[in-house]
Amino acid sequence: MAITIPGSPQDMPTTAPRYVGKEVKRIEDPALVTGTAEFIDNFALPGMAHAAILRSPHPHAKILRVDTSAAEQMPGVVAVLTGADIKRWCNVGTTAPEGWGSTPMAVDKVRFVGEPVAAVAATSRYVAEDALELIEVEYESLPTVRNPQDAVAADAPLIFDNQPSNVIQDRTYTWGEVDQVFDDADHVYTEKFRWNRVGANPMETFGCICHWDVVNNSLTCYGSYQTPSFIALGRAASLNLPSNRVRVVSHPHGGSFGGKGGPRGTDIAALLSRKANGKPVKYIEDRVEYLLAGAGQSWDRYYQASLAVTADGKLTGFKVDLVDDQGAGAEGYGTISAAKPLAAFTGCYTIEAAQYHMKLVATNRAPTYAYRGYGPPPHNVVLESMVDIAARDLGMDPVDIRRRNYIQPDQFPYTIPSGNEYDSGSYAAVLDKVINMSEYQAMRQQQREAREQGRLLGIGVVNTVEPGVFDWNAYSTVGVPGVGVPEGVKVAIDILGHITVTLGFTLEGQGQYTLAAQLVADYFGVEMDSVRVTYASTDVAPPHFGHGGSRLGVALSGAIMGACKKIEEKFRLVVAGLMQCEPDHVELMDGHMRVQGMPGAEMPVAQVAGTMLGRSDLLPPGMEPSPEATYVWTADDRNEPDDQGRCKSYLTAANACHIALVEVDRDTGITQILKYFIVDDCGTRLNPANVEGQIQGSVAQGVGAVLYEEYVYSEADGQPLVSLFSDYLLPGIHEVPMTEKAFIETPSPVAPLGAKGCGEGAIHTTPATIVCAVNDAIAHLGVQTRETPISPNRLWKLLQDVVEEN
Amino acid sequence: MTAPQQQVQVTVNSVSYERVIDPRTTLVDFLRHELGLTGTHVGCEHGVCGACTILKDGQAVRSCLMLAAQADGANLQTVESLRNVETGELHPIQQAFIDEHGLQCGFCTPGFLMSTLDLLAENPDPSDEQIKDALDGNLCRCTGYQSIIRSVRLAAARVRGGKVAGAHGSA
Ligand code: FES
Ligand code: FES
Repeated sequence: MAITIPGSPQDMPTTAPRYVGKEVKRIEDPALVTGTAEFIDNFALPGMAHAAILRSPHPHAKILRVDTSAAEQMPGVVAVLTGADIKRWCNVGTTAPEGWGSTPMAVDKVRFVGEPVAAVAATSRYVAEDALELIEVEYESLPTVRNPQDAVAADAPLIFDNQPSNVIQDRTYTWGEVDQVFDDADHVYTEKFRWNRVGANPMETFGCICHWDVVNNSLTCYGSYQTPSFIALGRAASLNLPSNRVRVVSHPHGGSFGGKGGPRGTDIAALLSRKANGKPVKYIEDRVEYLLAGAGQSWDRYYQASLAVTADGKLTGFKVDLVDDQGAGAEGYGTISAAKPLAAFTGCYTIEAAQYHMKLVATNRAPTYAYRGYGPPPHNVVLESMVDIAARDLGMDPVDIRRRNYIQPDQFPYTIPSGNEYDSGSYAAVLDKVINMSEYQAMRQQQREAREQGRLLGIGVVNTVEPGVFDWNAYSTVGVPGVGVPEGVKVAIDILGHITVTLGFTLEGQGQYTLAAQLVADYFGVEMDSVRVTYASTDVAPPHFGHGGSRLGVALSGAIMGACKKIEEKFRLVVAGLMQCEPDHVELMDGHMRVQGMPGAEMPVAQVAGTMLGRSDLLPPGMEPSPEATYVWTADDRNEPDDQGRCKSYLTAANACHIALVEVDRDTGITQILKYFIVDDCGTRLNPANVEGQIQGSVAQGVGAVLYEEYVYSEADGQPLVSLFSDYLLPGIHEVPMTEKAFIETPSPVAPLGAKGCGEGAIHTTPATIVCAVNDAIAHLGVQTRETPISPNRLWKLLQDVVEEN
Repeated sequence: MTAPQQQVQVTVNSVSYERVIDPRTTLVDFLRHELGLTGTHVGCEHGVCGACTILKDGQAVRSCLMLAAQADGANLQTVESLRNVETGELHPIQQAFIDEHGLQCGFCTPGFLMSTLDLLAENPDPSDEQIKDALDGNLCRCTGYQSIIRSVRLAAARVRGGKVAGAHGSA
């Protein structure tokens, strides 16, 4: 049965939605504000032991000997795990591209500081950590591959002995007549950029409790898992279990942003449990572990980019040369972050041809993982900086050059050179709105006046496209197979008419349970409070992926609409039977099944459900008594990539324009954000407060990445220099700008209810906005910053050069 | 090897507890794992994030930076004290965080609530700058803080209006 998903809230069976698109209280919040939500470290199993992990102090070394005898004898220790166990029980993890994975614990050699080399389970975490002190490991140092230059040197030591070099992938994608466009251009601008490593750092680190059922040879993992089914499949592969013998139970987690990790910690806890004859083992990563080698490092990039421009400011071609330091292999799928920019490679512009040289290199830094945005934030710094460079040279205002090059509303659906199709957008309208809101011209005046007083004020104007609703095909260029990302829910109405939604992901912060309740309540005309949303573990949930790729709000809407519609269809048959009419004449509206043209002939949905479950004698012959339905949604019309990686990948294209006013302090190099304005367009806003929260939170992370945060590694010996929050500087309440926001709504013509993915747009945009603003503040001094974070010392040094030259 | 033992007596949320513990037990581990008060969270264990903020004798402290033994004899207040167990009513600070969307994942929230409780006890009508200064030691990775400031403003107004018991037990 083909199901039509409503394309707009107006198409739902309600005269006026009471919850969708409205300000509602989140159903997640009472548990969270009372501290009663079951975060993993608030949960325990009887008899559970506690794990601690011994980690490598070396970036690259052979393991000669591991002696755990003293630890094993320590009172309170229940199991000790080493590479020898791993060799016996584990497979190397899968990666994209294949062949760059590791076992969860080092066996013969270590490849980064913080890599696990042994682990202990004991009666408490304190005892387990004591026992680690008794483990002796003898290493033989190997030369360290500190950075990509080291990695590709002629005599570079190999990080993965199964590979011929340290280059994970080196390929060029060409889209359109790039050479021609560059030959024909009046101006070609070329610049280099450096984006230093940053990462997710959710407030809660990773944690799990693993229980290996040694009798039935099956594994249950409770933990803070962002993508539970993905984790379950991975554990089956690495721990040699059939996939239906791994059960993952995801607990509410304290943020994730892609960087929650879990594979290594889970495998280690699982094997400790196996070794301890099935005793459950808890592992809670601490912040030092997270910062050194958790899943919190992303985007370590060296760029060279060229932009082809005509004399009158038309952008025609864009070339990007990327060298990406992936760290020690591809276990965290950091490679995907190099592939994702294909989905919006040329931003909001009608650039006709483009080229992408992607060189992904392994080093002895920690492996890179996903982080919110998954690649575009640095890419957009490059693209938008290049646009400003052109504007400055051509004497154009940054606003004008952008406007001149926008994809126009009547050009949608629009296929960009790198293959993705944008569904819709109103870029000029967004720009106009933010210009008015920010009083852009007045700010320019303020800037001029400040400059006369010797102050350095700058304005950044940046617009980006946020690819929403990811599809695996988007990542084919780094070897990810598959098309389609199923997300399923079950909606069930009980005999008293109460509705329960069951889904395969848990609380992470985005308020998706609230969205589920809003949608179902409006569909069936019930109170939102009465809808219960409940989590199902991987073994019983419908196919699901969960959070990620600016996708879940849209995917969840599709799944819920589909399930509700299926129930509605069943109810139509029931009511048609009872009322002696054609099913086509029965419709659902405001919580009642009504017979068209027969006023008063109607039944509330609760009564229909009750009839189905309690009066089989009244049902049409052969009808299944089941007032419930499961629907698994994936985006329509996605296709296989061609040989240049081109395909219809991300379903929706939200967009935003940010304007920032900053002041650079010449004496200290400190950048202060004075004003920050945002107008965005993510189509239908299903839950406006959730959307606003996503934007502001994502601005904060963008500000962190562009001004403060950095995983610093020693240039001398490749050692990580960041292990505490006093080294890795998350922005606090004084650093994040209180932004002024507005929006316009261009509903997606292709997505459920017209909503577009919107969880990452601001982190796509904020770093570029601040870079452009800082450069606008200092350009007249003849210097420009091309490296993030624009920390005070970096900027101070740049400005110092100017002062000295003068 | 038997670990040396230490006797600790604390009052938490008006209930007195006595335990014999390993002397190195941090206060937050003691609260969470000995007393089962898991509403206080741990984000860094090195005093930067503020997730572990509780009140000790009416002052906000980081419970990860203290040993439980150092709290011997102290009067502690944690997030579990905020909801009225008789009526089920939330504290106006909790309600304000819900109403103004001052949380997303909620992991940092207990720390923010306790810092806010401390702030409002000392300053019932804080300016935005004073709110920022008071919450500067609490990190939130989700919200970008804007809604938190709104929440505290709303909480302050409601506490002022409603004369709700604050951190120091004053009406
Ligand atoms: S856990 Fe205490 S300050 Fe972070
Ligand atoms: S709400 Fe997630 S860290 Fe603050």
